[in-house]
Amino acid sequence: MNIKEYISTGILEAYVLDEVSSAERAQIEEDLAANPELRVELELIEGTLEVLMQTASVTPRARLKENILSLAEEGSKQGRIISMTVSPAWRWAAAASIVIALVASYLAFDYRDKWISSTVALNNLIDSNQQIALNYNQVNQRLDKLQNDFSIIENNAFSKIVLKGTENNPGALASVYWNSTSEEVFLSIQHLKKLSEDSQFQLWALVDGKPINMGVIDANSAGLLKMNLINSPDAFAITIEPRGGKASPTLETMQVIGMVNKG
Amino acid sequence: MGKTFREEELVTQLKAKNKVALNYLYDHYSAALNGVVSRILKKDDLAEEVLQDVFLKIWNRIDSYDPAKGRLFTWMLNLARNQAIDKTRSKEISIGKKTDDIHNLVGNAYKQNSSEMFVDSIGLAEVLDKLPDDQKFVVDYLYFKGYTQSELAEDYNIPLGTVKTRLRMAMITLRSIMNVN
Repeated sequence: MNIKEYISTGILEAYVLDEVSSAERAQIEEDLAANPELRVELELIEGTLEVLMQTASVTPRARLKENILSLAEEGSKQGRIISMTVSPAWRWAAAASIVIALVASYLAFDYRDKWISSTVALNNLIDSNQQIALNYNQVNQRLDKLQNDFSIIENNAFSKIVLKGTENNPGALASVYWNSTSEEVFLSIQHLKKLSEDSQFQLWALVDGKPINMGVIDANSAGLLKMNLINSPDAFAITIEPRGGKASPTLETMQVIGMVNKG
Repeated sequence: MGKTFREEELVTQLKAKNKVALNYLYDHYSAALNGVVSRILKKDDLAEEVLQDVFLKIWNRIDSYDPAKGRLFTWMLNLARNQAIDKTRSKEISIGKKTDDIHNLVGNAYKQNSSEMFVDSIGLAEVLDKLPDDQKFVVDYLYFKGYTQSELAEDYNIPLGTVKTRLRMAMITLRSIMNVN
């Protein structure tokens, strides 16, 4: 072998760069073992490179040393450095799974958030639905009552008796609808004075000069109020009585009175 | 840590997992290895990450180092260079590399990168400047820009044999510039 020619190809520099095929490497290592001259040349190349690299030195940040020393410590305890033995494919897989885990966590969090707000919104909807249903029922009942009241007012079988204010309360006004056949009586209050909590109005029918209790009413009652049945009354009157009413009227408190027109 | 190790002894102590030897290794070689890694990667945080990996590889794989095949420093340098080159091929800095390719196309890369040289590399610039341009080019690209010989041959249309002989010539020139015996 012509050593000078061998060296001049730059094969040793390529070997030092770790850029030879495994077959070349085996051959070079064999040649190096066999030729001290090659060995000397190799050492010169390596020496030159080391001096060049020391010239090219860039001091790393100080904390790197601590990191390395403590990681090396951990590594010796565990016998190996896990991160060093992981292949690139596994790194990507690990990185991908971390990304997937992060995305999944975020989505889970996001969906949970959405789920909670959906539940809240649903509960609100259910509540307002119930409220609407309740209102609807109230309106419906009110409508039924109005329709019912209206049918009574319209019904020719009922006679309307207007009860006008007495001297006690000239502005007061109420009406009674009386069905002579069915004997039903309905009272409608247009205007009566306000009462204290412990008083109520009481409707009376006068039959042959005698007052007959027709029932008590609260001051704020609205619409047609169904009262007791009565057969052939001559008049109706309302007095103010203690809550629950009395057996006989307190005439001094009479608010309204109206005669039944027996045509 | 006044102790100094001869290379053989250092290797023996590293194989024995002696932390003092690792400490010594770091103190004496981290800057030299970082010089290569940080120039190839151009980013301090990436370089630091790679350098850390390199030292841990040295520590964990010291048993695979065979003194019969070359010096410890050469072995470490190749670990560092290979690791840094691998990093340039990872996605993290592929954009940076492309930008460089554009610079190369307009022929400015060399000047631009020289002007960006690290402060403590004035010594290196001085040394490299003493090389003929073609030799300087191969040393710079092979050792400090993360090119392999075959990449350099391909990217710059230089026959692979020429790349090898130029590196050979550069080593001889450097040997005399730096008085290596």
